[in-house]
Amino acid sequence: MTATALRAALAAGGLALGAVTVILSRSVPEEPVDYAHIVVYIGISWSFISAGLVAWRGRPKNPVGVLLVAAGLVRFSSQIGWWGNGFAELVVGLGRNFFLALVAHVIVVFPAGRLRSGLERMIVAAAYALAILGYVVPNAFDDGWTPNVLFVYASPTAVTVLGDLFDIAAIVIALLLVALVVARWRNGSRPARRALAPLILTAPLACVVAAAALAHDELGVSFTRPVDAALGWGGITTAMIPLALLVGLLRTRLHRSVVADLLVRLERSADPSDVRQALAETLGDPSLELAFPLASGAACVDEHGNTVELPAPGGGRALTNLSDNGRTVAVLIYDPFLLEEPELVAAAASAARLTLENTRLQAELRAQLVEVRASRARIVVAGDSERRRLERNLHDGAQQRLLGIRLALSLARSHAGDAAEVEGLLAEAEQELQDALEELRALARGIHPARLTDEGLRAALAALARRATIPVKVAAPPGRLPTAVEQAAYYVASEALANVAKHAAASHAAVTVTQSNGALVVEVVDDGSGGADAANGTGLRGLRDRVEALDGRLDLASPVGGGTRLRAELPCA
Amino acid sequence: MATTVLIVDDHAVFRRFAHRLLEADGFDVIGEAADGSSAVELARALRPQVVLLDIVLPDVDGFAVADSLAAAAPSSSVVLTSSRDADDFGERLHHTSARGFIHKHDLSAARLWALIEAA
Repeated sequence: MTATALRAALAAGGLALGAVTVILSRSVPEEPVDYAHIVVYIGISWSFISAGLVAWRGRPKNPVGVLLVAAGLVRFSSQIGWWGNGFAELVVGLGRNFFLALVAHVIVVFPAGRLRSGLERMIVAAAYALAILGYVVPNAFDDGWTPNVLFVYASPTAVTVLGDLFDIAAIVIALLLVALVVARWRNGSRPARRALAPLILTAPLACVVAAAALAHDELGVSFTRPVDAALGWGGITTAMIPLALLVGLLRTRLHRSVVADLLVRLERSADPSDVRQALAETLGDPSLELAFPLASGAACVDEHGNTVELPAPGGGRALTNLSDNGRTVAVLIYDPFLLEEPELVAAAASAARLTLENTRLQAELRAQLVEVRASRARIVVAGDSERRRLERNLHDGAQQRLLGIRLALSLARSHAGDAAEVEGLLAEAEQELQDALEELRALARGIHPARLTDEGLRAALAALARRATIPVKVAAPPGRLPTAVEQAAYYVASEALANVAKHAAASHAAVTVTQSNGALVVEVVDDGSGGADAANGTGLRGLRDRVEALDGRLDLASPVGGGTRLRAELPCA
Repeated sequence: MATTVLIVDDHAVFRRFAHRLLEADGFDVIGEAADGSSAVELARALRPQVVLLDIVLPDVDGFAVADSLAAAAPSSSVVLTSSRDADDFGERLHHTSARGFIHKHDLSAARLWALIEAA
């Protein structure tokens, strides 16, 4: 049986039970027919059944609809007792109690349909337990009416005491429900309050009325006369619950105008970054955030281009991906209470899709700017640290050697009379001078390779390979390229070989330069220990900046134990 | 008796020539150290009359070493030296416990004597 057929059958059953109720009410000859109460009575049941059926159809996965239908049908069952049958009486008594337990269940789980805490589970379990025990236990001691199929042992005291205890327990549960609803309302976010509005408007009143009616009817508590009289009609407050909840669950149509306003607002807005604010206001969730996946797929950014982390599933935030042709345009991050209004979220997101695509493009642009700014800052920092390194090298290397020469010459002068001593000192001074010149040359080469400027990349790479501490094979095309490309390619090879010497423990390395599709590809491969991490070390970071400054890309593959492959692609069209 | 000297510098070239330069002019170089901590140990053991102390050292800087020496070998006169200009060290040179500062370029026995005797 399909769900539609089942709902149709239940609707028919509800109507039939209404008709049966009217017929039965006329079949008790000794009592006058109280049409007003019959109308209220049937009205309550039908309000539950009809609201439940509509909610069920609109939200098939949400159990609130089914619970409402069940409550309505169960309530009708209390009519059967007029047949004067013992089992029918049992059904009547249990039915009346189960109706209240089902209503309590609905109040606790609305709107999501789930039990969220131990307290909520306890309240619902207590309501069902009370529904059964509150009827079965006192009647086991009650011989005051027939036919009582539950009767075991006659004890009027037990009937009174136990009955009163269960009634008090029911009143406590009713008041707990009031406290629960009010607390959820008070602690709720704006979307949560909007979702809870139908409940806060009806459930506390109905619970208080039901508790008062119980106190009045069963425990003999007297209020003022008008209140006592009004309690006889208290069921009406219960009937309002399903209708209000139905409105709450199916507000979609009411959202249409809100979404239309959003469209107008987005059209008027010159600044697409306003879209977050507009969506937040439309959905009534000030905490709403937007995340735009970058085209590279590497990260998400907000509308300002700053990197954002998507919250983990189950982390107290709800996510909706907005896709266009299978590609995620934006991710909405919002209060999970909005999950109760999927149509609103979908409609608003759909209305904002075009603007969101624009915002995504702008966010991507901003993200690039953010990265460019960071990259520029890193270049400056790297430049500064490089200057410091040069200064230290000059002090510790060349300058110390020249100082040595100065001291040696000073000594030679003081030994001018001793020819052998002077000769030895001059020889040392010459050696020191030689070393100093070597170091200065190396230093100058490190600052800028003259060979690269004079003879091009192939010659400079060959010289670099000759100076390397391990055998390095170089393959590069002849000819000249744009200076910036040659320099970037040279520094990629030079930094990679420096890293090979420092960290890789390799026996061989190869530098291969090729040209394809208007790009120069530099690959440096070694057979060392691998495990290099591009995120570590300023050298590789600096290289990436240099390569990306030319719109190129740098890739590092360095599995532990599997050698290292550094590949730079430099557009040079 | 010749004045005893401990030379502290992380550059072997400088130590070698300073050693010979000072000995040629009548000092007695009784030890060499390449960093601050071994300088303090050597000074405590050898009790040199003069410690020629480089400011830029690999472990601690010369100012800190001078303070340690003031406690470890209070009889030693500490003279700071560096290949950097005195300006590079600013106020620290004025507040040091060392006797004075000689730029490495200007190192000679005469300059060293002048500083020691000025005290």
